[in-house]
Amino acid sequence: MAETLLEMKNIEKIFAHVHALDHVNFEICKGEVVSLLGENGAGKSTLIKILTGVYPKDGGEIFFEGKQVEIDNKHDAEKLGIAVIFQELSLIPTLSVTQNIMLGKEMSTLGMIHYSAEKKKIAELIQRYDFPLEADAIVETLSVAQRQMVEILKALSADAKLIIMDEPTASLSRKESEVLYKIINQLRDQGVSIIYISHRLEEVFNLADRIAILRDGKNVGLVDREEIVPGDVVKMMIGKRLSEATASRNLTLSDKEVVLEVKNLTHLGYYENVSFQVHAGEVLVLTGLVGSGRTEVLRSIFGADPYDSGQVIYRGEVLKKNRIKHTVSKGFGLIPEDRRTQGFAPLLSVTRNVAVTNYDALAHMGFVNRAKEDELGEAVVGMVDLRPANPNVAVGNLSGGNQQKVVLGKWLTRDLNVILIDEPTVGIDIGAKDEIYDFIEKMTMQGIAVLMVSSDIAEVLRVAHRIIVMKEGRVIREFHDGAVTQEQILLAQSGLKEQAKEEAQYE
Amino acid sequence: MRQETLRRIISFALLVILLVIFSATSDTFLTANNIMNLLRECSVVGTLAIGVTMCIITGGNDLSCGALLGLVSMVIANLYHYTAFSLELILAVGLLTALLGGLLNGICISVLKIPDFVATLSTGMIFTGLIYLFAIRNESGLITSETIRNETIASWGGSFGNGLYYSTVVFFVVAIIAQVYLKHTKSGTYLYAMGANRKSAEYSGISFVKTKITAFMISAGTAFIGALLLLGRNRAVETATGTGLEFQAISATVIGGCAFSGGRGDAIGTVIGVLFMQVLRNGILKYNFSTQTQSVISGVVIVVMLIFDAYYNEYMQKKTTKASAVAREKKAVN
Repeated sequence: MAETLLEMKNIEKIFAHVHALDHVNFEICKGEVVSLLGENGAGKSTLIKILTGVYPKDGGEIFFEGKQVEIDNKHDAEKLGIAVIFQELSLIPTLSVTQNIMLGKEMSTLGMIHYSAEKKKIAELIQRYDFPLEADAIVETLSVAQRQMVEILKALSADAKLIIMDEPTASLSRKESEVLYKIINQLRDQGVSIIYISHRLEEVFNLADRIAILRDGKNVGLVDREEIVPGDVVKMMIGKRLSEATASRNLTLSDKEVVLEVKNLTHLGYYENVSFQVHAGEVLVLTGLVGSGRTEVLRSIFGADPYDSGQVIYRGEVLKKNRIKHTVSKGFGLIPEDRRTQGFAPLLSVTRNVAVTNYDALAHMGFVNRAKEDELGEAVVGMVDLRPANPNVAVGNLSGGNQQKVVLGKWLTRDLNVILIDEPTVGIDIGAKDEIYDFIEKMTMQGIAVLMVSSDIAEVLRVAHRIIVMKEGRVIREFHDGAVTQEQILLAQSGLKEQAKEEAQYE
Repeated sequence: MRQETLRRIISFALLVILLVIFSATSDTFLTANNIMNLLRECSVVGTLAIGVTMCIITGGNDLSCGALLGLVSMVIANLYHYTAFSLELILAVGLLTALLGGLLNGICISVLKIPDFVATLSTGMIFTGLIYLFAIRNESGLITSETIRNETIASWGGSFGNGLYYSTVVFFVVAIIAQVYLKHTKSGTYLYAMGANRKSAEYSGISFVKTKITAFMISAGTAFIGALLLLGRNRAVETATGTGLEFQAISATVIGGCAFSGGRGDAIGTVIGVLFMQVLRNGILKYNFSTQTQSVISGVVIVVMLIFDAYYNEYMQKKTTKASAVAREKKAVN
């Protein structure tokens, strides 16, 4: 084995009495690709943030090139040669590739930049790695994949020895991903080490030399790729912490009336040919990795985003495209993905936030009936069991769980037929999660059709009556009858087949 | 094509169209005298607009520059009237006034984190108030406008003898220096970086405070130069001097391709914008239309430019997502 580049020993991190990282060990050799795996909340990003100086560690030691080091801020990390490739947004769109790579470390005399010299240097760098890029191109004219290459060049030009990539292929097409794989292999050959974080087991098994698995802030393995199969990796990620009851679920196909039907819905560049039905009183869950198109489908159904072709049908009636007012009048509601920016107005009171979706009933000729508004506020506080039970408190001051209850409350007061819910429990504590699941169940009892997007497998198994798995904008798998387990869903999400016979069925 | 390239072509084309129309329909437009006058007329606003360009590129704005120009003029006039200071000393105090104003803006925005718009709106009100404080008064305490009888200052308003005014040359020299600064220096590049993506710029070790203060100090510097040009031509200062110039300057930058969101625009674009507005005003006067007509047309042009920016960006974004979708589709077929 090659020389060890980085070793992290017994790393500890405690957030509010919770062990986010519990004596975690990690190592990577020179010219090695190590994939870091784990479910959401397993501690991957905490570990990376400690490595890059974003968070201080609460215990443990870091060795880089054999020497013990302290990484207190991102400059320390940079000096050592540790670079992170950000998803997007970290380049200056209106500057050229050269200007971006050289930003902050320009070649200059008395403030005047030697652009031609810089350009020559960058052109050589591009040629060395054979990237399809022009040193002079303005970044905003580049594709996402090319921008990522600029990021990689930026890291390399700073003499990075270790490059961290976090879900780098999430927004890339297959072809672009393949170019990235080639680049990664090339970097490895040149002795650069790469920590590769991805949920896509397929690519992990293509790229990684070793796979490190975290679960609940603890190491569960650092294994050679040859010594393990994807199924085992999934088992290690899930562990045995879940009881059998929640590790799997018996699904049943509803025989009630179809309330919502989506037919061949396509929005080029986001999702294609998506079709499904939701029955009265049923919870259909759309799941899949980030970038699989789940949220986009939900938003199009609600009318928040357009689509290119296909139909959204409510009880036999084809709904108008991109018209939220129209869908809301049919009894649709949306609990959006990011409640902070889309779900509520933080400075306004609970009453005002709830009233926003109800002004059709509360206002007469443009004048709001404040007494009715207050009544509604009181009613919602009782309905969702808000804590504190005060309708006048600003929603921004509530806890995450109570904020989400307010967002739910906005729709509960209406005559609801279909509710679209997107990742309802992100950042919410366990107790409040249960309450939200109870609300969803209550809604199904009233015959409301529920279409939910979730990437939390435990949550999917808890509430789903039926499950649809999406990948790269397409529906690739439906679970509708009989038992389904976490493993099956995880494998389907990452695009791996469980058995040969299913391969034939779904290919 | 990139938005910037397209915008440059459009604004330049608009200027040419105006020139062609006015030349063809008016005998008095395309005369050396008129053109020289026109270039002289726009030099004060033009110089000011170059400074504002810097602020807009950082993603901000400077609504106080007109008032600062007025204040600097008034300070100089006041000292000339009431003291026996040498002209050098008076100018030094004027420059100091400008730079303190710029520093105040820069600190409010960067250190105190007040949004540019509100910060410069307030400092502009302070500057306007100070203009009255420094105004020259007669025996009964009423504000008067006293002509500055100084040959040096008067000579600034002169020309090279062939009709080319000094102020025109100053404006173009300022613009050329600004263009070189923006495109070829570290500091200039940082203005773009800060405006287009502040976080990323900061991650690259660029200081927000330093960058903002730099931009607003430059704007203050151009307000100082603008004040000198104005004094040279008018040789008198009124309390209303400078008022509203900031809006003309900002309009010119927008026509020239600056984006309020930051990261876009340059001095050449601003010069085109300034010339467009001045040609429009000059030509319209020849038709005996009121100056308000110029206001209306400039306003419409600005709105159209802004609509263009918004839609073009959206269109380009759609095009790239569709392109990658098509690429994915092809791959799937193969």
